[in-house]
Amino acid sequence: MRRGAMGMVLLGTIGSSIIKVAFFAALAAAFFYFRSFRNQSDKALFYARNCYHLSTLSLIAASSVFLYLILTHQFQFTYVWEYSSTDLSLPLLVSTFYAGQEGSLTLWALYTSFIGIFLMFYTSRREYESATMSVYSSILAFLLLMLVVKNPFALIWDSFPADLVKSGPIPNGLPNVVMLDAARGVWAQFPNQGKGLNPLLQNYWMVIHPQILFTGFSAMAVPYTLAVAAMMKRDYNSWIRIATPWAVFGSMVLGTGIILGGYWAYETLGWGGFWGWDPVENSSLIPWLLCVASIHSALNQRKTGGFVRTNIVFSLLTFVTVLYSTFLTRSGVLGDTSVHSFVDPGMWVYWLLLGCLGLFAGIGFGLFAFRVREMPKAPVKHSYFSREFALFLGAFALSFVALFVVIGTSSPIITSILKGKASAVEIIYYVRTNLPLGIVICFLSGLGQLLWWRQSHAGPLLRSLAVPVALSLLITAAVYSVLGSEEVLILLFIFCAAFSLVVNAKIGYSIFAGNPKFVGGSIAHVGIALMCLGFVTSSRYDTKATLALERGKPAESMGYRLTYLGYKELDSERYAFNVEVHHGGVTKIVAPIMRFNSQDNSTIRHPDVINFISRDFYVSPVTVETGTKEAVVSHTLARGKPLKIGDLTVTFSQFKFTDEQRAAMSEGKEFFITAELQIQKGTSSDRLELRVKNGPAGAEFIPSAYTAKDGKQYEFAMTKTMPSQEDPSQSAVAVDVKLPHDPAAHQKEDTLVIEASIKPMINLVWAGTVTLIIGFVLTIMRRVEEARRQGERPRPPE
Amino acid sequence: MKVKVIVGAIVVVIGVVLGAMNFMESNVEYANFSAAERSQKKVQVKGEWVKEQPTAFDVQNVKFSFFMKDDASRVAKVVLDGAKPNNFELATSVVAKGKFVNGEFHASEVLTKCPSKYEGSSETIKKTL
Repeated sequence: MRRGAMGMVLLGTIGSSIIKVAFFAALAAAFFYFRSFRNQSDKALFYARNCYHLSTLSLIAASSVFLYLILTHQFQFTYVWEYSSTDLSLPLLVSTFYAGQEGSLTLWALYTSFIGIFLMFYTSRREYESATMSVYSSILAFLLLMLVVKNPFALIWDSFPADLVKSGPIPNGLPNVVMLDAARGVWAQFPNQGKGLNPLLQNYWMVIHPQILFTGFSAMAVPYTLAVAAMMKRDYNSWIRIATPWAVFGSMVLGTGIILGGYWAYETLGWGGFWGWDPVENSSLIPWLLCVASIHSALNQRKTGGFVRTNIVFSLLTFVTVLYSTFLTRSGVLGDTSVHSFVDPGMWVYWLLLGCLGLFAGIGFGLFAFRVREMPKAPVKHSYFSREFALFLGAFALSFVALFVVIGTSSPIITSILKGKASAVEIIYYVRTNLPLGIVICFLSGLGQLLWWRQSHAGPLLRSLAVPVALSLLITAAVYSVLGSEEVLILLFIFCAAFSLVVNAKIGYSIFAGNPKFVGGSIAHVGIALMCLGFVTSSRYDTKATLALERGKPAESMGYRLTYLGYKELDSERYAFNVEVHHGGVTKIVAPIMRFNSQDNSTIRHPDVINFISRDFYVSPVTVETGTKEAVVSHTLARGKPLKIGDLTVTFSQFKFTDEQRAAMSEGKEFFITAELQIQKGTSSDRLELRVKNGPAGAEFIPSAYTAKDGKQYEFAMTKTMPSQEDPSQSAVAVDVKLPHDPAAHQKEDTLVIEASIKPMINLVWAGTVTLIIGFVLTIMRRVEEARRQGERPRPPE
Repeated sequence: MKVKVIVGAIVVVIGVVLGAMNFMESNVEYANFSAAERSQKKVQVKGEWVKEQPTAFDVQNVKFSFFMKDDASRVAKVVLDGAKPNNFELATSVVAKGKFVNGEFHASEVLTKCPSKYEGSSETIKKTL
C-alpha cells in the first residue's frame, strides 16, 4: 500500500469541502451586500466584506491543495491522472492546473475573486460598494457553484469504478492500492502514471496564455456589475467614469490574451495563420469587441451626458457574451464541428451554464427594462459632422462585427434548428461580413480624430483631410505596386487603415507636444491601424507552395532555394527536419518538427519560421516518405475471399484451433491459434500458416516468411484475429505483409514534403500589438486619475 | 429625427439581410455521394474509411486518396488536397468537404471524428496502472 495515499484522499476531500465553503461564503456576501444596499446597514456591510474575504481565502486554499496534488502526482484524482504525468517539466506541470474544464473554471473563479478585492476597495471609496459587490459576489458564487457540481477533486475510482474497484484479498505486492471498505474487503487500485498533457499544449505559451485570457475574462465582469449597480442606485451619469478604467483594463488584458493565442496558433500549432475564426478564438473576441465599443460610446456620455442607455446596454452585453461564449465552448453544443474537441461535460453543467447565462442576462436586461423610462435623455445637439456621431457609428460598427461573429460561431446551433443537422460556417463568411465593417471602422477611427465635438465646419475639415488622404493614397499605391493587384475592397481597406495610421500619428504627435498624458487613444489607434495593415499584407498577399524535397537535392520555389538536409531525432517521438533556405545571399536553416505517436499512430506537426524584417518565411511539415524502408501493407482478409497483395493472390481459408490447444487455453497455459492462408501466383499454389501465441503476457503474433517461385521474399504476420462464433464462414483475419525489396525504391532518398509560405509585412501585426498595449496602458493611467479626481471619499468604517 | 431613424433602420436591415445571405451561402450542406454527384455543388459527406481498400499519397501533387463509404453504403474514392489528416487511423467516422468530379470526390478538407475521450479510457487506465 502506498504510504500516504489515503492521506492525500483526505486532503482532496478537504479541498472539495473548502470549495463548498467558498461558494456559500460568496452567496452570503451577495446577500449581505444587498441588505447593506437596501438598508444602508453598516453591520450588513461588515458581514458582507468578511464573507467575501472568506470566500476568496477558501478559494485560494482549495487552489493550493489542487496545485499540491498536481505537483506531487496524486493519480488517485481523476483530473490529475487525466491531464498530467510525471515526465512534465515544472512550468508545464503547473499549467496542467488549467488544462481541463474543472481546473480552468477554478482559475477563472480564482482570478474573479482577486479582481473583486480590488473592486471592493475601489468602489468603497465611491459609495458604490454595496450595490456593485452584491452583483459581483453573485457572479463569483455562480462560478463556484459550477465547481461544486463539477468537482476538481473527483477520485479516480469513483470515475472508473468498473476498472478499479475490486473486492476480496489484495494480491501481494500490488502497488497503489487503497482500502475503501475494510469490513467488506472492498479496495481500489489507482494508476502510477497519468495520461499526460496534450502534446499540442506542451510549450511555454500554455504557461502564460490561459492566465492572461482568464484575467481578461474575469475583468469583463466589472463593467457589467457597475452598470447594474448604476441602475440599482438610479445614478446614470457618474458610474461611467467609475467604469471606464475597468473597461479599458479588461480590453487590454483580454486583447493581449487573444493576440498571444493567435501567435501561439501561428508559431507552434501550425494553423498557417494567426487567426482561424475558431469558436474558441471567437468566444474571446466577441466580448472584447463589445467592451471596446463601450469605451468609445462612454466618451460620448462623458462629453455630452447623452447615450446613457447605449452605454448600459454595451456594458451589460460585454459580460453576457462572456457567458454565452462560455456556454458555446463548454457545454458541448458545438459538438465536433471544430478542430477543438469539445468534451461533453454532462447535463448538469449544460443547464448550469445556460442558467447562469439566463440569470445574469435576466438581471441586467430586466432591470434595464424597469428603469429605461427614467433614464435621462440629453437633447441631441451634435450634427452628423461631429465627433459624437463618429464615435457612435464606430461603436455601432464594432458591435455589428460582434453580432456577425456571434451568429457565425452559433452556426451549429442555428443550422441544427433550421436544418436538423449541425454544420459550421466556412471562414469566408467571417471575411465577407467583417471586411466592409473593418473598412468603416478604420475610416472612422481616423476621421473621428479630425472632427470637433458638436459641429465641424467643412472648410477646416477638408483642409485637415488633404495631407492624410494624400499620404494614404501613396501608401495604398505602394502596397499595390509591390504586392500586386487585389480586390477593390481590400485596397479600400488598406487605404482606410493607412488613413487611420497617418491621422492618428499626426494627432498623437500634437497631443504629445501639449499633454503627453492624453496620447493613449491616438497610440492605441496607431496600433490597430498597423495591425490591420499587417493582417491584409500577411494573409491576403501571401504566397504558398507545397514542395516535395528529396534529401540533398536543392529545389527552387518563390525565389528561395530549399534543400532538405536530413532529420534529427529529438526524442523517441519528435523529429526535427532541417531545411536549408537560401535567399538573396543569406542562408538560414529552418527545422519544422513532426511528432509521431506510436501509441495511437497520430502525427503532430509544428511549423518553423524565419523572420525577415519585411516578411516571414513559414514552413509547415506535411509528411516524410522514407525511400529505404520496406513497404508494408495492411489488409483484412475475409474467409474465402481472394485478395491481391503484391504479385500474389491470397485467400484466408480457416482458423485452426486444435483440441490440444483448447485444453491448454482452459488450463490457463500458453496456447496457439493458427490461421491458414492459400497463396496463389500464376498456376502455383501454396499454403502458409500464421500463428499467434497467447499467454499471460498477452498475444504475440509470429511472422512467417514466404518465398515465391520467382524468388521474391514476402513476410506475413497476423495483426488481429476476428473469428465469428455464430457463423465461421464470416471469420476474418487482419495481416501485415512486408513486400519484397524493390531495388528502384531502395535507392531513392528520403523525401520531405513541406508547405512553405511567404507572409509579407507580418511584423506589422506584432508591432501594432505592442503599440496598442502601450496606448491602453496610457489610457488606463489617464482614466484612473480622472476617476480619482471625481470625488474620492474615505472608505466607510468597518 | 424621423429621417435619421429611417436611414439607420435601412442600413441595419441591409446589413442583416446581406449577413444572412452570406451565412446561408457559407454553410456547406450535408449530402451523400449520389446527391453530391447530381448537384455538383460543394457539400459535406459523412462516412467511414474503407480500410480494406488502398490509400495512396501523391508526393508530387500532395494529394491523399482513400476510399470512403457514405451513409447510403456507396463507396467512392476521395482525393484530398493535402496530406493524410491527423488521427486518420483512429477516426470512427470522417467528414469530407468538397465536390464530386468524374466519379471521384475532390475534398478540400477532411475532418476526422475520434472516439470520445472517455470511451477509450477503460483501456487507457489499465495501461497506467
